[in-house]
Amino acid sequence: MALPIPARSGRFGVRGARRPPVWRKRALRVLLYVAVGLILLWTLAPFLWLFLSSIFPYKELIAPRASHWWPTQPTFANYLALFQRQEQTGELFLFALRNSTVVAGSVTLVCLFFGTLGAYALARLPVSHKNAWVLSLLVIRMLPTIALVIPFFVIVSLIDYRFLGWGLEFHLFDTKLNLVILYTTFIIGFVIWIMRGYFLAVPPDLEEAARIDGCTRMQSLWRVILPLSAPGLVATGILAFLLAWDEFLLALVFTRSTNAMTLPLFIAQLGSQYVTRYDQIATAGVLASLPPVLLAMAFQRFIVSGLTMGSTKG
Amino acid sequence: MRRRRSEPGPRRLAAWLLAPSVAILALVVVFPLLFALYLSLHQAEPTGGGITLQWKGLANYTQFLFHDDLFWPAVRLTLYFTVVSLLIELALGIGMALVLNQEFRGRNWVRALVLLPWAVPTVVNARMWQWIYAGANYGALNGLMHTLHLLPPQVDKVWLGFDVPFQSVPILGALMGWLGATDALHMIIVADTWKVTPLVTLLVLAGLQTIPGSLYEAAQVDGASAWYRLWHITLPLLRPIILVVLVLRTMELFRVFDIIYIIMQYSIRVVGVYTFEVGMKFLHFGAGSAMSFLIGLMILGLALLYVKMLYSEDSY
Repeated sequence: MALPIPARSGRFGVRGARRPPVWRKRALRVLLYVAVGLILLWTLAPFLWLFLSSIFPYKELIAPRASHWWPTQPTFANYLALFQRQEQTGELFLFALRNSTVVAGSVTLVCLFFGTLGAYALARLPVSHKNAWVLSLLVIRMLPTIALVIPFFVIVSLIDYRFLGWGLEFHLFDTKLNLVILYTTFIIGFVIWIMRGYFLAVPPDLEEAARIDGCTRMQSLWRVILPLSAPGLVATGILAFLLAWDEFLLALVFTRSTNAMTLPLFIAQLGSQYVTRYDQIATAGVLASLPPVLLAMAFQRFIVSGLTMGSTKG
Repeated sequence: MRRRRSEPGPRRLAAWLLAPSVAILALVVVFPLLFALYLSLHQAEPTGGGITLQWKGLANYTQFLFHDDLFWPAVRLTLYFTVVSLLIELALGIGMALVLNQEFRGRNWVRALVLLPWAVPTVVNARMWQWIYAGANYGALNGLMHTLHLLPPQVDKVWLGFDVPFQSVPILGALMGWLGATDALHMIIVADTWKVTPLVTLLVLAGLQTIPGSLYEAAQVDGASAWYRLWHITLPLLRPIILVVLVLRTMELFRVFDIIYIIMQYSIRVVGVYTFEVGMKFLHFGAGSAMSFLIGLMILGLALLYVKMLYSEDSY
C-alpha cells in the first residue's frame, strides 16, 4: 500500500521543504489511532470494571477472575437493594444521598452568592491592598484541610458542650449545618478566585457603556457582567458542587449517623466489618459517580475553561 | 432606566461586597487557624466535654523535629509520593495532551470521555482500585495477569503488600527501603494518577491550543524534525502552564490523605495520615496542631520555591 515517493521531495526538494513520505504519514496515522485507543482503554477500563462488578451476581463476583470477566446473568438487584428503605444498607444509602445533595447544594449556593460579589469587588473596584487580599486567597487555598480539622473539632465540641450546659437540644456535631459551615472554608475562596478571573476577562468598555447609560454599579453587574460571565458562573457552580460532593475528611470527623453522613463516608465505611461486599461498594460507587460524571460530560467545555481560569489567572 | 443618585462610592461599595466573604473567611479560617496556633503551644487533651490545657511552649514542635521516630520517615515518604506522582502525571498528561491535540475522528468525544476519571469521587476511586488490586484470585489485576499469562496460574500477587521493590539492586534497594517505598504505595500512586491525569491533560491541552500554528509551519519549512519541534517549540512554550500544574499538584499531593487512609488506614504513614493519627485518633490536639503547622510551612516553602521559579521566568 505504501508507494515510494518521487525523489524530488527529498532533502533537496522544491523550496527546501521536506515532505514526509506517504507510508510514513500512514504509519503515523495508525500510530495516532493506537495511541487514542490506549488512552481510552486506560481511562475507561477501571470504571467499566466498577460498573460490571455492580451487575455481577455475588457468587460469580468472587469466582476466579481469569474465567469470569463478564457476568453470565447480569443483575440489577444491587441497585434495587440500595433503594430499599427497609434494609439497613438501603436506608443508610438513601440518607447519605440526601445529605450529600443538601450539603453540596447549600454550600454551592452560599459560596456562589457571596463569592461572586467579592470577586466582582476584587476584579473591578478599587480595593486597598488588593494584591494582599488576592494573595491571602491563594494561601487559604493551599491550606491542608487537616490543619483545620483539629481546631474545628475542639471548637465544635466546646460549643456543643456549652449548649448542653444551657440545657439546649441544639448541637452542631453530626449535623448538615455544621458540614455546610465547614465546607465553606475551602469553597468560598475557590469561587472568588475563579469568578475574579472571569470578571477580569469581560472588557471594561462594556461596563463603562452601561454606566454611561445610567446603570449603577450593581445594575451593570447584574445586567451586563453576570450575563456575559454566565458560562463562568455555571463552571464555578459545578466545580464548587463537585468539591463539596467529593469531600471526605471533614465528613469522617464530624458525622456519625444518618443525620448528616454523606455519600463518601457511606462508601468508605461500606462493608468494613465482616464481609466486604464489593458488589455493594461498586453499586454505591457507580451511583455516587453518576452526578459528577454526567455534569462533567455535559458541561465539559465550561469546566475545562473554569479549571484553566482557576489555575492560571493570578 | 431609573437612575439612582444615592449610589455609594466605589470604595464603599467594594467594602460592602467583600464584607460577607471576608467575615466568613475570618470566622471559619482565620480564627480556627489562630486557635490551632494556640493549641499547638499547649498539651491539649479532651476531658469530659471540655479540654485540659497545659502550656508547653514550643515543645510540641521540637518533639516532632528532633525526638520523634515517625515524623521524618513520614516526611520522606510524602516527598517520595509527591515527586514520583508528579513525574508520572506530567509525563502522562503531556503525552495524552499531545495526542488529543492531533486531528482525528471523534476527537470531541474522546476529549469529553477523558474527563471521566477526574469526575469520579476520591472515595469511589479508592475503593474501586482497592477492589481491582484485591489479592485473591478474584481481583481484577490478578485476573488480568493470569489472562495475559504474566503470572503463572494459581499464583496470586498481593498488590497492596509491604515489600519494597529493587531489594536485589545494591544502592537503589537500600534507598527505596529508607524512603519506605512499598508495593502498596506504588499501587496507590497508580490509582491516584488515574484520577488526576485528566486534569493535567486538559490544562496542558489548553496550553497547546494557544501556541500559534505558524510557528510549527515555519519550523517545518526549515526542515525541523518532529522531535526537534517538541523540544524547542512545544515544551518551552508550555513552561508557564507546566509550572502552574506543578504548583497545584504539589500542594494536593503533599497533603494527601483520603485515598491512602481509605485503602491502607494508618499503615502508610504520610504526613497527612500521621497528623490525623496524632490529632484525631489519639486526640493529642496540641501535638496534632503543631504537626499540621509544620506541614503547612513545608507546603508554603514549596509554593514559594515555585512562585520564585514562575516569576523569574522571562516571558517569551
